[in-house]
Amino acid sequence: MSGGLESTRRLPRIDAAIRAIALNTFREAIRDRVLYLLLVFALILIVVSQLLSLLTVGDEEKIIADMGLSAISIFGVLTAVFIGVSLVFKEIERRTVYTLLANPVRRWQFLLGKFVGLMAVLLMNVVLMSIALSIVLVLRGQPPWDLVPALFLITIELAVVTSFALLFSTLTNPILAAVWTFASYVAGHLAWSLPLLRDKVTGTIGKWVCDAVYAVMPHLHRLDIKADAVHGLPLPDGYVWMAALYGVSYAAVILLLASVAFERKDFNR
Amino acid sequence: MGENTLAIEIRGLTKAFRGHLGIGRTTVVKGLDLEVRRGEVFGLLGPNGAGKTTSIKMMLGLLRPDSGSVKLFGRSPRDPQARAMIGFLPENPYFYDYLTASEFLDFYGRLQGLAGANRRRRVNETLRRVGLAGHENVALRKFSKGMIQRVGLAQAIQHSPELVVLDEPMSGLDPVGRREVRDLILNLRDGGTTVCFSSHILQDAEMICDRVAILKQGTRIAAGSLNELIEPTVRWFEVSVRGVQADLLQAEVVSESADALLVRVTDAEHLARLIEAVKVHGGDVVSVWPRKDSLEDFFLRQVREVRDVS
Amino acid sequence: MSRGSTTMVLLVAVALALSAVSGTRLERLAGVRVESQELLYLPNGDYLKAASLGQAPFLADVIYLWAIQFYASYEREDRFRYVEHIFGSVIVTLDPHYIDAYWMGAMILSVEAHDIDGALRLLDRGMERNPDNWMLPWIAAWESYHSGRLEDAVHYFDVAANIPGAPDSVRRMKAGLLGKTGDTRKALELWLEIYNDDETDDRSRGIAERQVRRLKHRADIEDLSRIIADFVARTGRRPTSIEELVEAGDLYSLPLDFDGQPYLYDPLTGVANVADGSLFRD
Repeated sequence: MSGGLESTRRLPRIDAAIRAIALNTFREAIRDRVLYLLLVFALILIVVSQLLSLLTVGDEEKIIADMGLSAISIFGVLTAVFIGVSLVFKEIERRTVYTLLANPVRRWQFLLGKFVGLMAVLLMNVVLMSIALSIVLVLRGQPPWDLVPALFLITIELAVVTSFALLFSTLTNPILAAVWTFASYVAGHLAWSLPLLRDKVTGTIGKWVCDAVYAVMPHLHRLDIKADAVHGLPLPDGYVWMAALYGVSYAAVILLLASVAFERKDFNR
Repeated sequence: MGENTLAIEIRGLTKAFRGHLGIGRTTVVKGLDLEVRRGEVFGLLGPNGAGKTTSIKMMLGLLRPDSGSVKLFGRSPRDPQARAMIGFLPENPYFYDYLTASEFLDFYGRLQGLAGANRRRRVNETLRRVGLAGHENVALRKFSKGMIQRVGLAQAIQHSPELVVLDEPMSGLDPVGRREVRDLILNLRDGGTTVCFSSHILQDAEMICDRVAILKQGTRIAAGSLNELIEPTVRWFEVSVRGVQADLLQAEVVSESADALLVRVTDAEHLARLIEAVKVHGGDVVSVWPRKDSLEDFFLRQVREVRDVS
Repeated sequence: MSRGSTTMVLLVAVALALSAVSGTRLERLAGVRVESQELLYLPNGDYLKAASLGQAPFLADVIYLWAIQFYASYEREDRFRYVEHIFGSVIVTLDPHYIDAYWMGAMILSVEAHDIDGALRLLDRGMERNPDNWMLPWIAAWESYHSGRLEDAVHYFDVAANIPGAPDSVRRMKAGLLGKTGDTRKALELWLEIYNDDETDDRSRGIAERQVRRLKHRADIEDLSRIIADFVARTGRRPTSIEELVEAGDLYSLPLDFDGQPYLYDPLTGVANVADGSLFRD
């Protein structure tokens, strides 16, 4: 068992490494009380849907669908932030990252594995909550198919938020990272006000600044088609796919930045 | 990449850290030069804070050096090919405690490029080798510290790396555990693996290392084989004597108990005279223990010299 | 590491380009969306929409539920001051397609606050944002008609009739079919058609039910008042109860309201009324 034959050492296949880390991340995140949130959500939905029939004058199913989509979106974002910001930090804190990176895994593969693992958890959440919502709606005679595009884009939005969470997780401690990630989410949902501001601002420099800031911010409001879905309104052809492409490529940019940050990181705990 | 390539080659390695709030800089490693040859057991020694762990992290690509270079088998540690040839166990390791031993090793096996049935086989073999056979399906959170150490070692060796790097592998272990680690290291060396480990306990190194380097405050104050560093000659003898009173012997008494005396003599000639004296007075020589210069003695001397010089 | 960084730079450039291109295309597509995102220059709708962070439709629901509860409690004198603001500004800024808000707000304004102008304004806003909805102009037409604004009624009937997907009864209601007398009955008849039509969707049927109930009560009370007046003219006194009118042969049978309850009658004033005329019953 001598130490020769160096040049024929097999490196792990890229997808094998990413998959291994993703699976590990998934298993760890699963244990993170996430499932209890789901249970609470499902119960709230069932209780509320009965109460609503006493309260409202008009379309009860709209309120249930709205509430369902909003809850899926909000819970998704909360999960993405609170688990995402500690993903990298925990590994560094507990120094499990040392043994991990001492192996022939590239740092970007580690980060991508974390991302895929967390997205798997989020996707599972969205699916389970969607099923609960669908059951409630179907029992009331309302088919849930119109909601699918909205749920799809909610998942894309979660991908963007997760990428921010990972980026800030590599840069700072979980508390600050959570603050920054929420700030990005808020900015993403206020982006629509920038074109309005632009109209009110005088001077070309001011307008240019508004345009520049708007271009850089994540346009999360474009990924929000909840109202259209609930009302069954038609969207322009190809809107959903274009929005998905935008979301995915934006998340890719953020993840690439996170890889660069992580690549340069010193682990000196 | 010939057979003569050094396992580890470090030249002029320097690393400084910024202090709290960015005030002040502490240089943790200063201009370190080091060579670890293939197939040897190398000890990176020195007190806590000497820069051993920092140096090791730079060896593995976990830290970027401010200046200088590190090469593993001629490659940079940032090159995955280089990392494919090493196994690493950090100090006081923590592992994902919800995994079982075999799940844990399987995970690392995937990262090490082991595939399918080969991986399964290696996992089981290695568990047996480190004495954890039968614990494959036990969750790591139920492991004792010694068992964690063993599973950590398993992770470092299961892919048969050319070089194994261990940071304080014997810290916190009981004598049995330390013995087992020492045996494993020697076992690895016998199989052709290079082993580099750090320790602040010099006696451990003395027992198994082929060559050592001693660090203090970030600089290397000595390096070489044990023979080169330490006088192989006997410095003094410790003799255990019974049945004779202390004042009758013309020798330094180290300690006295109810039925025996521990006496110290400085060379073979004095030893002979002592034994004669004991026989004359009707006593017994229970044991004779020749004491050589130890690594620790050497180290303490070095430190004193350095202090005198500075 | 240099080859690695070139790959990285390349990837970042590609991702940036992709997000820039898709982002711009998305903006253009979004401009075509039916939902108009113009904001009314009234503070609350704006701020709430900004504060809702993408949960605007749900917030609209919450406010709507609250508003219903608020207006169903017949407490405050000045509560109608803000109907138009709440329904017409806040809720519909958050969700411009919330049809319930438009017609419910309009009903409150018309029936409770007797503010026809406000009701029509609200319905106009709804029609503007939901040009495919036939129910809103239909309701607007009847509101105008009941308050005597015949020209407006004719206009709204036209609008409703021209919207694709409007039921037959709506389409038949073009100008010229209206007379001064028996008009409550006529309106009731047409709403009843929509109510009984199998093709009508559940939500429209729910709206129709409210209209039918309201109109039936109105028509029945109108008839009752006329019969009571005849009785007074004939006998010189007010009837003691509605049953007396039945016994006297002025009425075929005891008239019942939409829910099968008999009408109330006060012998002292000679006025008939409906048992439970709440707008908010389900």
